[in-house]
Amino acid sequence: MNSSLFSAFSVLLLAVAAAAQSPLVLRPPEPGVQTGSLLKTNVTYQGHNQRIPWQKESPGSRRGLGVVLEGNRVLVTGQMVADATYIELELPESGQKIPARVEAVDYEANLALLAPAANGKEAAFFAGLRPMDLDTSARIGDALHVWQTGRVGELIVTPVLISKVMNEGYVVDNASFLVYEAQGIIRSEANSFTLPVVKGGKLAGLLLRYDSKNQVATVLPGPIIEHFLKDVAKPPYDGYPSLGVEFQTTLDEQFREYLGLKPDQPGVYISKVVKGASAERAGVRKGDILLAINGESIDARGDYQDALYGALSISHVVRGRAFVGDEVEIRVLREGKETVLKGKLTRKLPEDYLVLPYQFDEGPRYVLHGGLLFQELTRPYLNSFGREQLGGPLLRLARTAADPEEFETEGRRRVVFLSAVLPTPATQGYERQSGQVVLAVNGVKIGALEDLAKALDQPVDGIHRIELREFPRLLHLDAERAAQDNTQLMNGMFRIGSLRRL
Amino acid sequence: MKSPFFLLACLALVLPPAAASGQAIDLSSGDWEGVVNIDASVLLPDYREPWNAGQPTGGSGTGFLIGKNRFLTNAHVVSNATKLVIRTSNDPRPHPARIVHIAHDCDLAILEAEDGAPFEKLKPLELGGIPKLNTEVIAIGYPIGGDRISVTRGVVSRIDFRPYSHTQVDSHLAIQVDAAINPGNSGGPVLQDGRVVGVAFQGFSGRVAQNVGYIIPVPVVSRFLKDVEDGSYDHYVDFAVSDFPIENLAQRRAFGLQDNTGVMVADVEPAGSAGDLLKRGDVLLSIDGNPVFNNGLIRMEGELVNMNEVVERKFAGDVLRLAFLRDGKRQEADVELKRFDPYVKLGEQYNQRPRYLVFAGLVFQPMDKNLMDAHQITDSTASYLFDNYLAEKLYVERPEPVILTSILADEVNTHLTPYAHSVVDEINGVKIRGLKDVRDALSREEAGKPFVIIKLLEKGRPLVLRRDLAEAAHPRIMQTYSIRDDAYLGLE
Repeated sequence: MNSSLFSAFSVLLLAVAAAAQSPLVLRPPEPGVQTGSLLKTNVTYQGHNQRIPWQKESPGSRRGLGVVLEGNRVLVTGQMVADATYIELELPESGQKIPARVEAVDYEANLALLAPAANGKEAAFFAGLRPMDLDTSARIGDALHVWQTGRVGELIVTPVLISKVMNEGYVVDNASFLVYEAQGIIRSEANSFTLPVVKGGKLAGLLLRYDSKNQVATVLPGPIIEHFLKDVAKPPYDGYPSLGVEFQTTLDEQFREYLGLKPDQPGVYISKVVKGASAERAGVRKGDILLAINGESIDARGDYQDALYGALSISHVVRGRAFVGDEVEIRVLREGKETVLKGKLTRKLPEDYLVLPYQFDEGPRYVLHGGLLFQELTRPYLNSFGREQLGGPLLRLARTAADPEEFETEGRRRVVFLSAVLPTPATQGYERQSGQVVLAVNGVKIGALEDLAKALDQPVDGIHRIELREFPRLLHLDAERAAQDNTQLMNGMFRIGSLRRL
Repeated sequence: MKSPFFLLACLALVLPPAAASGQAIDLSSGDWEGVVNIDASVLLPDYREPWNAGQPTGGSGTGFLIGKNRFLTNAHVVSNATKLVIRTSNDPRPHPARIVHIAHDCDLAILEAEDGAPFEKLKPLELGGIPKLNTEVIAIGYPIGGDRISVTRGVVSRIDFRPYSHTQVDSHLAIQVDAAINPGNSGGPVLQDGRVVGVAFQGFSGRVAQNVGYIIPVPVVSRFLKDVEDGSYDHYVDFAVSDFPIENLAQRRAFGLQDNTGVMVADVEPAGSAGDLLKRGDVLLSIDGNPVFNNGLIRMEGELVNMNEVVERKFAGDVLRLAFLRDGKRQEADVELKRFDPYVKLGEQYNQRPRYLVFAGLVFQPMDKNLMDAHQITDSTASYLFDNYLAEKLYVERPEPVILTSILADEVNTHLTPYAHSVVDEINGVKIRGLKDVRDALSREEAGKPFVIIKLLEKGRPLVLRRDLAEAAHPRIMQTYSIRDDAYLGLE
């Protein structure tokens, strides 16, 4: 039996059926473009427990469809491989499998490139597969096809229609990028974690999320994928640049008059300039009116006119179209005068944040000493409590994450806090303490977890003195007792493999 | 959840001591006529539309005669009342009454009848002492379940320091009893051997705990009566010091402590009684000669009690003698006790007309619990400010934070609506430390600047109104939204 022929046949049938039912005018996929470009991708993952940092969570699995690209590489979403412990690729029809590894991943842009394990079988595995080309031409009104595979590898095609193009957050909350929003009814098949979205037989994007209530698919679009692949092709990988400003619209006439803007003058009010980011280095200041970036004029909402998409947030000009290291030209209005500022685009790396915006593949950093557990404040830690239960010390920590400037000016690289107290003889009386920011240990100011680890080597008169920012503000720990308890924590009931991860 | 029981004020039957043996109560005797029903007509202030009078409602509770035309009841029975009527069990006439003294912090109030004559022959109830555990008490009042007087019986279950629900931020000694205390019992006497040992005031709902009712014990009642002797109520005084137990041996060694005496001073309110004396990290050794144990308790009248019990019995201007350890050296000093006001905003407040100021449709109101609840404010800056008002000592910089609570829509302010619930930081260059600053700052004109500039805390941009447009719009908005007065700033 020739199964590939059978699949091709079913593709055609489905496509015809779709066209008959849909009010959209759909072309059937070109012959020859079928499951030959898709691989089932199976991932086993295991996240770290944010609050018991020496432990991992129970493992789980994700299944999706990867897209075969040139050079035997496979494109999936970044989410797909987050915290992966084992990745395999599977031929949809034969079910043949090969282990794979992550060659490049960008969790902000939510993209990952996989490569097969070099076990000598990869050439044969990829022999019948055909790399897909990228489409970056999709625009509002275009019809796209979401591809899924059925049980025996048959292609299932669902039409969707692009209704909006805009900038939106992907999966981690510190970055937003271009997305297509497309209307259509998508049936969920088994391999639904990552799905390719196709235009005219070329890859137009990956499905980012689907809102079944409103039947809206959000698509990670071709231009962002193109940016990723170009960047990966020229190591080192730099990621997507950012300007590092926050701005406010100037639609309010009285506000415009106050700012000295003429009635028809475009531009937005810069309300915040991130320290050390591209804009600040180029000389942009809070209170400037941002008029244009790289020659693209900005309107009172902060949009420019994109040739393909129409009005679109100006951030796409930097994020989606430029690369780290590119020259940028920023035109601002300052004290009534137009000024052109020039600089180089940079990217704020996750580790440059006071509070890590996301963390995958690595466990949270911690130091456990005598029963006192110290951690660095991260978004994943705060998110592990859900949004509802923030109160008391957690609310204060969450605020630190939202507005880190006060802590940054105090010279901190990270916010170290007492996250929990394990009941040991050394911590008698401290059992219920948690959530306090650590100011100093044994007289040493704490700017990151390494400082704390070092300071714990220097007790004074056999006692560790720990100064906290919040109630009860001062704790003492018997150095000798704590050392004994450390042994007990590792070998006793808690069976803690390691007392620190730095 | 614990909730104050708005109990019908009930005529307390003074039971003879023999009541324990099941003797019947003689309703024809005059002994119990001093226990009265209090009917209150209430106007609940409207913090959302502060220019309105409020929502009329009503309730009823119990009170009892303690002296010549003086009735004791709970503050929560008569809070926000516009009209009060006293009824006795033997007299069909309603007697109009008024509040003489009200103490929200300990949930007590004294009423008098407008005409005291009808009560002259009634016997006032007498105060007793603190009853012993497992001794019998009866609660008398007018709780739900009927119109006539009710008596329930139980024993003293526990004597402890407890939060009082009326304000939600005050704690005092309270006695737990298992006599049924139900809505309407509030303000009614709880008797033992014919004497009042407490005033019924709060309990748990049956879903949370069974047979748990609380009464305000005699020391709290006596303190209130003594406080008002000079004609006005002065509020409780506060030590305003947070302590942390020194249980940890390393902690004890670091402080150089030999025995179980001494508790760590973890926080001192700068505006509190000991603000100029104690520091974080001091160790408090004794309070008025009572040694303080390392868990913050002292021994008083044979029982271990919270050290604040010493402060509880004192008045403004009284002195507290402290011994403490600083940097290993023992020191002694006196502190004069005073009220600590900032925390009051964090609790429910009553009998207050909401203060506000409207300008060009922008409504400014001072932050307090009533306001936060009424507007359901979830703005992160405003909730942080409220939640950490004490912990982060935010009251020092902003004694009365002002919130832009709503924007009454008009052409002049239509772009400002997204900024409702923001905290106001500055207006026309003036730092806003209270609602009165808003009035002063708005009228301040800067030469050559035709704008009113309102800076909000942690919002990206200032709110800007052209002064001429705003002033022209102001009367129009007042009329459209039926606002008679554009401000109520409180009594000046």
